[in-house]
Amino acid sequence: MNETRPGDAMLTDWREAAGRFERAVASAVIGQDRAIRLITIAIFARGHVLLEGDVGVGKTTLLRAVARALGGAYERVEGTVDMMPTDLVYHTYLAEDGRPRVEPGPVLRRAEDLSIFFFNEINRARPQVHSLLLRLMAERSLTAFNREYHFPNLQVFADRNRVEREETFELPAAARDRFLMEIGMEAPRDAESRRALVFDPRFHDTDALIAGIDADILDHAAIAGIGRAIQHGIQASPAIEAYVIGLWEALVRPAGAGIRLSGVDMEALVQGGASPRGVAFLVRAAKVRAWLEGRDWLVPEDIRAIFPEVMAHRVFLEPVYEMRRSAIVPELCRAVFDTVPAP
Amino acid sequence: MRFMRRPGLALAAFASVVLASTAQAQVRSVEIRTPRPFGYFLGDLVRAQVDIVVEPGFTLQAASLPQPGPMAYWLDLRDVATEETQAGDARRVRLSLTYQNFYAALDARALEIPGFGLTFVSASDHGATTTTAQVPAWSFNISPLREVQPPAKADPADYMRPDGRVAPLDPQPMRVGAAAFAGLALVALFGLARDRAWGPFRARRGRPFGIAARRLRALAARPDAETAYGEALRALHRGLDATDGRRVLAEDLPGFLERHAAYRPEGPRLAHLLAASRLAFFGAGVPAARAALPFPEVAALTRRLAATERAA
Repeated sequence: MNETRPGDAMLTDWREAAGRFERAVASAVIGQDRAIRLITIAIFARGHVLLEGDVGVGKTTLLRAVARALGGAYERVEGTVDMMPTDLVYHTYLAEDGRPRVEPGPVLRRAEDLSIFFFNEINRARPQVHSLLLRLMAERSLTAFNREYHFPNLQVFADRNRVEREETFELPAAARDRFLMEIGMEAPRDAESRRALVFDPRFHDTDALIAGIDADILDHAAIAGIGRAIQHGIQASPAIEAYVIGLWEALVRPAGAGIRLSGVDMEALVQGGASPRGVAFLVRAAKVRAWLEGRDWLVPEDIRAIFPEVMAHRVFLEPVYEMRRSAIVPELCRAVFDTVPAP
Repeated sequence: MRFMRRPGLALAAFASVVLASTAQAQVRSVEIRTPRPFGYFLGDLVRAQVDIVVEPGFTLQAASLPQPGPMAYWLDLRDVATEETQAGDARRVRLSLTYQNFYAALDARALEIPGFGLTFVSASDHGATTTTAQVPAWSFNISPLREVQPPAKADPADYMRPDGRVAPLDPQPMRVGAAAFAGLALVALFGLARDRAWGPFRARRGRPFGIAARRLRALAARPDAETAYGEALRALHRGLDATDGRRVLAEDLPGFLERHAAYRPEGPRLAHLLAASRLAFFGAGVPAARAALPFPEVAALTRRLAATERAA
C-alpha cells in the first residue's frame, strides 16, 4: 500500500537508498534478510544494536558490510577481560625518539566523524568498560583530555557470543536497555544459502567480500536528520497508541491479560523491565519499519515485526525462570500478540 | 490330606514331671496333656497342651518359645499359643502346641516329638533371675492309611480317591459388588469425561462469524454510521480472531487461509476488508475506509462468512 504524502520526495529518495543499502549488504551476507532489515531499521531509528549468536554465523561480516555500505569512520575493538575504559580513550607508547606519547584511542581517533563503533565480544569486557559505553551510547559524548567529545553520528554495534560463560561479564540491565535491539543471528536454514556459504569461494575471503560492496551508499552524516523526519512524518493513530499500551501492559503483567504458558506461574514470571524508554524505542523502530514499507502511518504489523528484538531483552524474569529465558520470552511475546486485540 | 478334629474336653494327662532339683526349684511342675496318644494318620494335626507352674514373679521369655515351622522332615509345628493364669500362689503358663504329622507310616509305630526348654525370667530391682523349664519329649502312635500290599488294580488311577465336592457358593454378594463397582466406574468416567472435555462435554465450536453477523444486523439500524462502521469492523475482527484462536492482522491473512481452507474463496474479499480496516483504524480514518468498502459490502461478506462457517 503506497500512501506516502505527495511532496515528501526526500523520504521517498531515502527509502530507495535504504533499499539499495539492504541489497548491497545482502549481496555479501546471504540468508540473513531479517537481520539486515532489522539493522536498517536500527540505523534509521538511530539506535544501537547488540548482535547475539553462535560462533561463525557471520555477525562480524554483517557489521563490516554494514559499516562499508554506510560510510563514515569505523572503529573496532575486541573485548577482553583485562580491558580498561582508558584503553578505549587513549593509547600510550614510547615513540622513536624515546619520549612517552599519549595519543587518542579507538573511540577518539576519528573524533566527531565516527559513525560506527563496533565492539566485538562485549561480554568479555569488564563492567568498567560497560559503564563507559553506557555514556557513549546514551549521550553520544565522552570527556577526555580536558574536553568533551561529541559523536553526533555514532552508532554502537556490539556482538556477544552466547556459547561461553567462562570469564565473561553479563551486561548490566542499564546497558542492555540502551541497545535499541538485540538481534539473534543464526546460520541460514535453507540448503541453497548453506551450500553457497560453504562451497562458493567468494564467501571464504571476507576482506574481498566486503571490498566488493559499494561504499557509502547512505550518507551517514544525513541519517540523523532523516531519522528525525521519519519520526515526524509517520503518523500513529489513537488505535495504534492504545494497541501499544495494551501490549506493554500484557508484557509486564501477563497474568492480568489472561496469558497462560505451560509450566510457568504467570503471577511470578516477570520481575520488571520493559521500561518506558524501551517502549519509546519500540515505537521509533516501528515507524522506521512503516516508512521502509512505504506507509506514512503505523499498523500493528510494524510493531509486531520488531517487537521481539526491541522488547525481549528488556523484560527481566524472576530468577527461577531466568535460566529458561530463551524458551519463555519468545513464547511470552507470541502469547502477548495472540492476546491483545489489534483494532 | 485329612485333618482330624478332637474335642478339647477329652484332654487326658499324658505325662507329669515334677522337677525337684534345687537349681530348678522355681519351676514347680511341667505337665503335657494330649487328647490321645494313638490313632493318628498322615497329615493329622497333633495337639498338645503344656502346663508349666512357676514361682510367682516369673514370666515366660517369649524368645524361648519354639518357632512355628518345620521341626523334622516329617513334623511341622504349625501354631504356638500361650496363656498365663494365676494358680493359687503360683503362676501357670499354658502352651497350646499344634503339630502336623507328615510321616507316611507302613505299620503302626510310635513317633517321638522332641522336647525343648523354656526360659522364665524374674526381674527385680537387684537384677534378673532366669530359670529353665525343660519340656520333655513325648510320643504318639501313628497308623498306616492302607495295607502294605494293596490288591492289584488295572488302572493306577483307581488307587486315587476322587476329589471331594466343593459346596456351591452364593454368587449374590459378588453380583451386587460388581454392580456397585460398575456404577462407581461410570460415575468416575462421567467425572473424567467432564474434566477432559470428552464426548458430550466437548466444547462446541462456537460460531464467531454468526455472532458477528447478528451484531452487524443490529448495527445496520444505528443512526451514527461512522461509529457503527467501526463497530462492525471490530465485530468482524473478533470473529476472525475467535476462528483462528489468535489475533489476525492484515499480514496474517495468507496464514489464516492456509489454516482454514473453507474460507479460501473469500480470500480476496477478506484482504479488501482487512485493508479497509487498516485504513479505518490506523490510516486515513473511517470515511476513507467507508469509501473503499461500504457498510453493505461488509455486511454481505459477514453473511457469507457465517454461511461458510455453518457449512464447515
